[in-house]
Amino acid sequence: MNISQLFNQLPGAVAQGLIWGIMAIGVYITFRILDIADLTVDGSFATGGAVAAILITNGHNPWLAVFVAFLVGLAAGAVTGLLHTCMGIPAILSGILTQLALYSVNLRIQGIGTDLGSRANVPLSVNKYKDMLVSLRNVGSFSLNNPIWLLLLITVLLIALMYWFFGTEYGCGLRAVGANRQMARAQGINTSAGTVVGLMISNGLVAFSGALMAQYQGFSDVSMGRGAIVIGLAAVIIGEVIFFKLFRNFGLRLLAVSIGAILYYLVIQVVLWLGLNTDDLKLLTALVVALFLAMPYWKSRLSIRKLKGGVRHG
Amino acid sequence: MAETEMLMLQDVHKTFNPGTATEKKALNGVSLTLNSGDFVTVIGGNGAGKSTMLNAIAGTFHLDCGILRIAGREVAHLPEYKRAAFLGRVFQDPNSGTAASMNIEENLALASRRGLPRGLRWGITADERARYREKLAALDLGLETRLSSKVGLLSGGQRQALTLLMATLKEPELLLLDEHTAALDPKTAEKVLSLTRRLIRENHLTALMVTHNMKDALALGNRTIMMHEGRIILDLNAEQKQHMTVEDLLAQFEKVSGLELANDRMLLV
Amino acid sequence: MKKTISLLMVLSLVLGLCACASAEEKTWQIGILQFVQHPALDEATRGFREAITEKLGDKVTFIVENASGEVPNCATIASQLVSRQVDLIMANATPPLQACSNATGDIPVLGTSVTDYQAALEIDLNADGATGMNVSGTSDLAPLDGQANMVKELFPEAKTVGLLYCSGEANSIFQIKAMEGYLTDLGYECRRYGFNDSNDLASVTQSATECDIIYIPTDNTAANNTEAIANVVLPAQVPVVAGEEGVCKGCGVATLTISYYDLGRKTGEMACEILTGGADISAMPIAYAPQVTRKYNAANAAELGVAIPADYQAID
Repeated sequence: MNISQLFNQLPGAVAQGLIWGIMAIGVYITFRILDIADLTVDGSFATGGAVAAILITNGHNPWLAVFVAFLVGLAAGAVTGLLHTCMGIPAILSGILTQLALYSVNLRIQGIGTDLGSRANVPLSVNKYKDMLVSLRNVGSFSLNNPIWLLLLITVLLIALMYWFFGTEYGCGLRAVGANRQMARAQGINTSAGTVVGLMISNGLVAFSGALMAQYQGFSDVSMGRGAIVIGLAAVIIGEVIFFKLFRNFGLRLLAVSIGAILYYLVIQVVLWLGLNTDDLKLLTALVVALFLAMPYWKSRLSIRKLKGGVRHG
Repeated sequence: MAETEMLMLQDVHKTFNPGTATEKKALNGVSLTLNSGDFVTVIGGNGAGKSTMLNAIAGTFHLDCGILRIAGREVAHLPEYKRAAFLGRVFQDPNSGTAASMNIEENLALASRRGLPRGLRWGITADERARYREKLAALDLGLETRLSSKVGLLSGGQRQALTLLMATLKEPELLLLDEHTAALDPKTAEKVLSLTRRLIRENHLTALMVTHNMKDALALGNRTIMMHEGRIILDLNAEQKQHMTVEDLLAQFEKVSGLELANDRMLLV
Repeated sequence: MKKTISLLMVLSLVLGLCACASAEEKTWQIGILQFVQHPALDEATRGFREAITEKLGDKVTFIVENASGEVPNCATIASQLVSRQVDLIMANATPPLQACSNATGDIPVLGTSVTDYQAALEIDLNADGATGMNVSGTSDLAPLDGQANMVKELFPEAKTVGLLYCSGEANSIFQIKAMEGYLTDLGYECRRYGFNDSNDLASVTQSATECDIIYIPTDNTAANNTEAIANVVLPAQVPVVAGEEGVCKGCGVATLTISYYDLGRKTGEMACEILTGGADISAMPIAYAPQVTRKYNAANAAELGVAIPADYQAID
């Protein structure tokens, strides 16, 4: 158990963290900006992977693959949005319904071209598809092949894009929808349409992230999105707890979310490095996230206690 | 001034929860016409239908039957956000009219686009910022130096003043004020009320103001209506208002409704 | 000058001795990535470790990791093992195999509990059955035609066979397809019943009971939920033929088993050949279970009134 081993594992954590960070930014949009808990992401993450896998194995360009995955993610978000706004189903349930449906859809997407019509797992071996955008294989190298460079670039561009978008008139309107629905309506904003658009953008980003993940890990599996919402929320909250006092700018806050995802993966790496039983991995992850969630509450309790102390002596 | 019809309600009915134990006939044949420049105060007991009438105009719910026209347009079929193009609204809850997590200039920018399509134009220009500063300075609340403060940091009175400004930034056809000083302390309420009077006068707005305060109802505006059980039972014009006192008003009410009005809230000054 | 030469000689002697000593004390680090906690996979890991420990003793340290059923963890752990520069990786189940083979092109990766290597890695095995890259291993494919014959032997009068499996498991789908072919050739009508996960397992099993017999392949989800399946099939009086012993023990009547423990041992033997025997992993053909046994569940067979031939072994 030596420190150099932990350092060796850092690139892997950073790379995976950056990919999940993209997903977490999508979760941030629905969770914090629109104030909706969107459970579609467990499904749309795998959908992104499925779409990318099918396109890449059929010889298409990986950039095209991730772009199409983004578009399909938009569609998934639209479905949840329409269930919620047109059919009056509460947002959480709408997300669950879409996620449920996406399981079958993902099997079908991955089964395109097979005679069974559905497939649970599509391999994307880096040996075969050498032009994939990111791969687990190169995470230890210092060359430009290292997925970390591309992922950093994508993250920065994405944050810039989101910063621009939410600063436009339309984007400001979307923020109002989440900030105060009644006021948004009173200012002439179509809150139903805004909700659908927000869900679409969010799930588009999640699917995009799933497409990258499938390439990174070398396969797409229909269960690869399970637990994605937990990771996304954990990243958002960890980012908030640590950085939000410092980062007031919207763009920097999105960066904080991405860093939150990296920290989450670092925690997992440390758990593995400590040699703790991986059977307990989920328990430990839950503990860590709970600790982060409790920090703001404890901080405020601590300051109240200090105040009490002051009054007593005064 | 030309007598253009700004608001027309004709025989409007609305029942909530029909056919259940909590059924309530909130609007029972309300007819009301407002002309351009009218400033009408609305009073009545709890459950009289005052706020319901305002919400009906704004489009929070659809009417069971009746005609609703704003500035000559039929709006009964339009959803709330589409009617917002013609309306300015201030709510009773100071938190309702502004977005706490966004800053002052962003709130004002949102209000200035009310009814207009929102495109991908970015940010707030220097001209717009100067305009906002000017308008905020006129409120005399020190907000003009805090354009980038989050609205959540402001007091209730400041938020109501801001909501008022937002409601009138883009001149509305009709201003709806729903007991907008009820949640404020007397001093701030007075400030907001005088602001209201000033803005309406300066911009020649048509306004409908619900209040629980009979004294204010009589003092403000050129017309006062009293509602009871979903109907308008009293309609006083400017001259009648001038000669009316609160006691007279109460007596009139008893005569018309046949009830003793035992509502402390309305009597408190 | 003399002093320097003698110093150099002493140094080189010492270094030489050290080199010899370390050559004798060569130790290895083997990383094991198991997909989920589950009896068959646990047995394979156990067999793997015991086979290696018997041969190489304490010269080998194992790093045992479990992805707890979460696909993303496979990539994380695979990358961790590679960064620790282990000498060999054992990937127990398909997602770990895929993650590990992508994580490294150099470190030998031996898979186990994987049914179809060609599908998992999207490659074609060469004429010898080897992959031609740094991957080999053992397959848990019990001869499916043998299993179909077992069905015929035990239930010659039956007409319909329900194929029950988890739609999310590639290995199961592979086996179902093949079994369908064999059973149809033997004159049965086959129907497929795929469930998504443990939540709809019971209701899908209920639909499957409309058939005369049910067949369950080596499906991880089914293996983890045999109680639930038993609670449906036993009252419905529908016998289950299972693809592996764990499933048969829980809810089945008979099975053509391979022993996952033996499979693990075989994998361990392959590992020893690579580490000490100088074998080239890219030329090592995929190995299959060394032997198959016909086994039956006495209690269930009695309850359902199924006659079991004498050469079957009872599961204890």
